[in-house]
This record gives sequence, C-alpha cells and structure tokens, in this order.
Amino acid sequence: MILDLHAHSDASEDSRAPLESYLKWLQRKRDLLPIDGIVLTEHRQWDAAADYRDLEDRYGILILRGAEVETDYGHILVYGVNDDITRRFDFTNVRLSAQEVVSEVTRLGGVAAPCHPGRPTIGLCEHYERKPPLDGVVAVEALNGGSRRGENERVQGLIERHGYGAFGGSDAHLVSLIGICATEFDDDVRSVEQLVAALQGGRYRPVDFREQVRAARGGA
Amino acid sequence: MSALSFDAVDVGDELPQLELTLSGEQVRGYAQAADMPGGRFMSDEAAKAEGLPGQIVPGNLSVALFSRLFTGWSAGVRLKRISATFRALVRPNVPLRISAVVTEKHASDHGNFLECDLVLENAEGERLVTGTASVELPG
Amino acid sequence: MSRTIDRSMVGEEFDHTEFPRITEAQILAYAASYGETDPRYTDPAAAARGPDGGLIAPPTFAVSLRGRHFMPRELPRNIGRNGFDAGKDIEIGVPIRPGDVLTASSTVHDIYEKTGRSGTMTFIVFRTTVTNQRGETAAVVDQKMMFR
Repeated sequence: MILDLHAHSDASEDSRAPLESYLKWLQRKRDLLPIDGIVLTEHRQWDAAADYRDLEDRYGILILRGAEVETDYGHILVYGVNDDITRRFDFTNVRLSAQEVVSEVTRLGGVAAPCHPGRPTIGLCEHYERKPPLDGVVAVEALNGGSRRGENERVQGLIERHGYGAFGGSDAHLVSLIGICATEFDDDVRSVEQLVAALQGGRYRPVDFREQVRAARGGA
Repeated sequence: MSALSFDAVDVGDELPQLELTLSGEQVRGYAQAADMPGGRFMSDEAAKAEGLPGQIVPGNLSVALFSRLFTGWSAGVRLKRISATFRALVRPNVPLRISAVVTEKHASDHGNFLECDLVLENAEGERLVTGTASVELPG
Repeated sequence: MSRTIDRSMVGEEFDHTEFPRITEAQILAYAASYGETDPRYTDPAAAARGPDGGLIAPPTFAVSLRGRHFMPRELPRNIGRNGFDAGKDIEIGVPIRPGDVLTASSTVHDIYEKTGRSGTMTFIVFRTTVTNQRGETAAVVDQKMMFR
C-alpha cells in the first residue's frame, strides 16, 4: 500500500492546491502514480472538525491527516493528532521543544517524525551536528519531494547511525507535485491508528516516482 | 496566433515551455521599467553590499515571465489570477526553464477556466519559483 | 531578537497614492522589459483591431505601480527594514489602458511567523488594491515580504 505521507492543501498558507484537485490529479495519473492515499500535514495548524470521508468515497483515495510543526530541531510531522496532543501543544508556536514533541506525542498515542532532515536549519541533520540526538524518534522522512540536490542523500547517514525507519512524502504545495515521493507499506493502512502502528512497526520504505514523472512530461 | 479552444485542452497538458537566460542588463531593464530601485537588482556590487551573492532577479520579473507562458500560448487567453512563491534566489546568466501544466478545467455560465501549476527551475531541475495561474479560455 | 508584531495594524491603510495618468509609452516599456510579444500589450495598431479595442497593459503591470510608502512606518525596527520578496498573488481585474488614472490603496493584510531554511522569519503580507478613475478594480496585489 502506497501513501504520500506529507502534503499541504490550500489550508497551509504557502500551498495553492485544493484537496479535491489533488484527488482528481491522482485519479487521472494512476498509471504513473500508484498512490492509494495521502496524508495532509498542514503547517502549524489542526482542524479537528475536518471530515473528508465524502471525498474519499468519491475518489477512492484514502485521506488521512497529520500536521507539520516547527521545533528547535527543525520541522516535525505529527501523525495521530488527537485532542490530548492539541491540548498539550500549540501548533502555531514555531519554537516548540522537539524532545517534548517526540516524547509527548508518543505518550499520547501518536508518532512524531522529523521531516526533510537534510534541509538546512529546519532539518535534523544539522541540529545533530551540535546538539544531542532526540530520544524516541522511530522514523524520519528520508525522501522529501521538495528537497534540493543533496538534501535527501544527507539523510542516509542519519538513518544508519540511529536506526531510524525511513519514509517518503511529496511535501506537495502544488497539485502536480502530489505523490512524486511516497511510502510503500507492507501492511494495510486504512486509518490514522493503523498509520501510527505501521510507522512504529518499521515495515515500510520510501518510493520515488520523480523520474517517471519527469520522463512522462510532454508539450501541449 | 490562433485561439486554442477550451475543449482542446486537457488536465495534465503542458503548455509550451520557455527556456531562457536573463542577462544582467535585462534584469536592470525590467527593474527600471517596473520602478524597482533596489540595488540588488542592478549590479553584483550593490547586491553583495546587501549580503547577497550577486545581482538577483526580482520576483516580479519571474511572475511576468510566468505570464508569458499564457500570452504566448493562445490568442484570447485571459489571465485572471497569478501567484508565485519565491523559494530561492534567481540569478541572471543562469539557464532557466519556465513551465506550466493544466491541473483543472471548469466551465460555467461565467466562462471557461483553467487552473495551472507554474514552475521556474534551473538546469539542475531545482524549483526556484513555483506558482499557480487561473486563466479564461474562449469556448 | 524580539518578534512581537502589533497585529492591530492588520487592515489599516498605510498608503494611498494616485498615480500620474498611464501612458502608452509606459505600457510598451513594461511589456518590452520582460520580452512580451502578445500584440494586445505591444502593438497599439494591432491591439486596436483586437477584442480590447486598443492597447492594454500586461497582466502583471500593476506591480510596477510603486506607492509613496512601501510599508507602514510604524513596523518595529527590530524585524529589519530590509526584507525579501517571498511571494506574490495578483488578481487581475479590468484592463489598464493608456489614459487611466489609477489609485492604489495598501494595507497590512496579514502578519505571521514561521521557520525555514533561513531560520525564523516574520512574514508580512501587504495588500494593494488598484482602482481606475471609474472606481473599477484593475488589480489586487498581495505582496508577501519576509523579514529576518
């Protein structure tokens, strides 16, 4: 099962992609992007009332939700967001304690996974060069579709040294970039609870569709 | 230039790309025409004095280049909205590729509209500027 | 560095500028400066025969209208006066034509903070609404400035 674990709809201030446009795009590009579902990880926010079951039924694509928060060790994706987690953390705070996020999110039933670790300033690799490693990290985003040359490659050493699980996500902010990087799970993931369990279980790997997307580009 | 009809366009279609390299002089020319007095757009020396690596291309020029994708694509196309995020510095004397892909089309009583993703990238495929455009196309 | 921003200024107008009458030369110069070739914006004779009945300004022309004040004077100095253009959003309204007298009204539309490759940044979105002498909206331009 293949899920894009990192995507931003127009609910994120720097994205211009309506959710439904993502779904239409994936439906149309199914042969190129075999994505079974996406996880919306909006910047610094959580809308407890959002319900996309109707869109899931209409497009046959799983829609899960998480969040991308900002900490003293860079950005972190939070999966399994619940009321306890949102009461504990103000997602709009750009100076959260990464250790507290990782430890408390885990304790409260979720998973906190550093994203784009190879990116300057907001990626884990740079912070590990001068600060102690975080306790409790189980996985990092080894493949990020928005990263620049060398940034994804930088993460390999981090994963090997610390034994982190490796997943992938597009970090899409545009419709046409959804699904270009994703995660292949050995097990079925149909809910946020199953996603959290799967990320803790380690039976997954990043998948990269960027080359075939580039190869398929043509002119109108 | 003949007019492309709405029916002839499909989601996923890519517009003809623009490949160009801006000279420092072209960047200065745009900055002057657009009333942008910043030294960073005028010369390497002035830009470096501001802590930049050298002369940079104004974001407004990137947006103007995006608009050329549409004005050069089909007669009668009307750009209704254009947006851009400036992700990284764009420098003169660097080959650039500017592209657009249709991501949505919708027809209504008010007209026929396309939504497009926009990308300005360097030769290494790094996306320096990204954006979207809404355009109206004749039926 | 303190990043406390007074959000009470969101929505307040900080600039209101009436520009000199737009000229054909101004439109042609702007179009030429970025290599525009569409005759609607570059060829007055051809444009006169076209659907607009005359030369009109290119879609992004409104960004060349620089008001008296680029930003509010009361923004805290400690966020830095030397910001970077982080993005643009232009809603294009009625065509701008030679002879138009345009007025631009600018407000602080939004202020927020986030972290990125450059560290912690304050983003301020300035919204400029450009209207013509008939009160019609020619453009609404959101300029996102990044300060660090």
